Amino acid sequence: MATATAGKKKTVRINGCVASAQAAKYADVDVIAAYPIRPYTATMMALAQMVANGELDAEYIVADSEHSQLSIAHGAASCGARVFTGSSGVGVQFAFELYSPISGARMPVQMMIADRTLDPPGDFGSEHTEALSTRDMGWLMGWSCDAQEAFDNHLMAYRIGEDPRVLLPQMVCQDGFFVSHITTDCELPDPGQVKEFLPPYKHPYPLDPRHPVSHGPQIMPEQGPPLQLERARAMEGAMPVIEEIHDQFARIFGRRYDPWLEEYMTDDAEVVFFLQGAHGVTARHAIRHMRARGAKVGMVRLRTYRPYPTEQVAASLSKFKVVGVIETNMGLGSVSSGGSLYAEAVAALYEVPKRPLVFSFMAGMGGEAIVMKEFYWMTNKMIEAQKRGKIEKRAHWVGFEE
Amino acid sequence: MPAIEVQRQMLPMLGSPNQGARFYNPELPATEPFVPGHRTCAGCGPSIQYRMTSKAAGDNTILVGPTGCMYVANSSYLCTPYNVPWAHTQIGSSGSFTAGVAAAYEAMIRKGKWKGTFPNIICEAGDGSASDIGLASVSGALYRNHDCLIICYDNEQYANTGIQASSRTPYGGMTTFSPPGPKVPEAKTLFPKDLARMMAAGHPHCYVATASVGYPIDLMNKVRKALNHKGAAFMMIYTPCQKGFVYETPRSIDLGRLVVESGLYPIWEWDPEKREFDYSFRPASMRPVSEYLKLQGRFGHLHAEHIATLQKFANQQWKMMNVAIPEALIKAADAKNLVDMASAEAAAAVAQTV
Repeated sequence: MATATAGKKKTVRINGCVASAQAAKYADVDVIAAYPIRPYTATMMALAQMVANGELDAEYIVADSEHSQLSIAHGAASCGARVFTGSSGVGVQFAFELYSPISGARMPVQMMIADRTLDPPGDFGSEHTEALSTRDMGWLMGWSCDAQEAFDNHLMAYRIGEDPRVLLPQMVCQDGFFVSHITTDCELPDPGQVKEFLPPYKHPYPLDPRHPVSHGPQIMPEQGPPLQLERARAMEGAMPVIEEIHDQFARIFGRRYDPWLEEYMTDDAEVVFFLQGAHGVTARHAIRHMRARGAKVGMVRLRTYRPYPTEQVAASLSKFKVVGVIETNMGLGSVSSGGSLYAEAVAALYEVPKRPLVFSFMAGMGGEAIVMKEFYWMTNKMIEAQKRGKIEKRAHWVGFEE
Repeated sequence: MPAIEVQRQMLPMLGSPNQGARFYNPELPATEPFVPGHRTCAGCGPSIQYRMTSKAAGDNTILVGPTGCMYVANSSYLCTPYNVPWAHTQIGSSGSFTAGVAAAYEAMIRKGKWKGTFPNIICEAGDGSASDIGLASVSGALYRNHDCLIICYDNEQYANTGIQASSRTPYGGMTTFSPPGPKVPEAKTLFPKDLARMMAAGHPHCYVATASVGYPIDLMNKVRKALNHKGAAFMMIYTPCQKGFVYETPRSIDLGRLVVESGLYPIWEWDPEKREFDYSFRPASMRPVSEYLKLQGRFGHLHAEHIATLQKFANQQWKMMNVAIPEALIKAADAKNLVDMASAEAAAAVAQTV
């Protein structure tokens, strides 16, 4: 690990998995629930070493399954501990039962996800399907595109999720391999900055023998609506908090992120890619090349997927003539017969008077890199649609068409 | 910051541990962490157990309730019967959620984030949770040796879902998933999973014991031993279910004794220090299994051959406990010496109302 020190801050060269582990260490987590599955495993390996070295004082639990990981996280958070867990691919889905109980209990558990394609067949590559399938379970959710953003998102997610106005669990996602295993420079902060930004976790109603409470009793159907409404309001109410915390983060750490969308070369763009995660890095590069050839192309990268920034997506995408959604997920039999990002982007645009043409690109499936040639091809498809004034079809499988 | 040493509780044993101490015992703690007013059935074995267990544990206790009768029938929103902290968890999360609670307190006390004596952490899992869907999670918690007690309140079936067979349902037991019929006259054809023994054999560093609501002082002292043991402990407790077993509600405690006296529910302890079983518990008398079976509608369909099969099973259990088997019980394992259950028709009628 190459290290350059400036004050107590230091810049290290690490991959996304290690960045996540570092974030958990800086957050001084109390309980870690681990279970191996590639590619996220390296995060837990790094944390195990930190605990073994005495750099981090936490209970490190090697769980017997992902279902147990999330149950351990649920139990520990219920007592007031700060908890860190994570998974990839089918592991994310093995734990599925727990996502709703944890958000319903309003436990701000944090889960790192390094995306992996679901079976069949066994494939280590990154697809976002596993995390996206949990999208309606009441977890805050967003994607990072490099190690630094992953580190920063973990700290911000704890701060947002543990805010008494929010109290929701968080999935901090990064693409497997493209982020999790690619080494880049990452600035690690001064612990004093983290102390200022992230106060200790204090749950209002923990399981504490001195103040007995009951968590999660059975309800009658008529008691259901108000409880569900509260959870829905918590998700909606998180939006101003997310903006506030991003401002605080920028003030303390000096890195400013738009909480919802990264727009790249969109000022005069007519056609844009709409995507999330690591392919945004390649897209920026491809866009610069295509701009040199005269194409008015840009990118809108979704940073927060839950709560979905409907207004921001509508305001942004309605500025363009054509939107090509790069899915990197499977929405089998869905509205576009492509991926699931399309449906919400289109729904967000529905009330806009002047809507762009929108269609999906099924690219990067199985964790394949999306190469420059494919970005050119997709750009041409968007420009053709712009000229034609209508879409050819709702979903293009990139690499399978002329 | 230097780590703070975790202080743990040490609960005294109750006197009169002899199995005859059935009624009032002046040493019983006055505290009632599990209060009346819940929605369990009259004579509910699991809730009788719940009261004894929580009384033995006292007020510095956290209870974990995986889905099961003791969640569904106890915990009505805004009106739960727990005077100590309690949390529901998923039916397959019994061991893992409990592990999370224990780990949180280890870390929070050590790091100075919570000040106090380490609480008793007790998971009340039904036999469906402990022996089927949550088996791996319970085993994981025991293997990792979190300082907690996982109890299987064993009513030998999934009861709150409407009486379905679990892997603890005895041979011959009628449930809605194991009904008797011309092709399957004995109803349940499989013998129960020997859950407690599995837990002792597989996690020999843990305190493991079986108990029955028929012997309250023995039960409560085992709970205290389990809690005093630093590390994980497991107990499997016989808790009859009048709805599923189909018996007269005042007889729950009688059944809790008859099941032991008939040899169908061996009571023992696993000593993690000596690494051996303690079979010294002896019921006041030994009886044929038919005396236990005949009180319950769920066995009303059994023919003589099935009763003999159960008697053979009981005799094997006695043998395992190094108990000499009386001649009468050897004879009772031969169908020639037995008669069919007479109450089959009545039992079927009751079963249809479940």
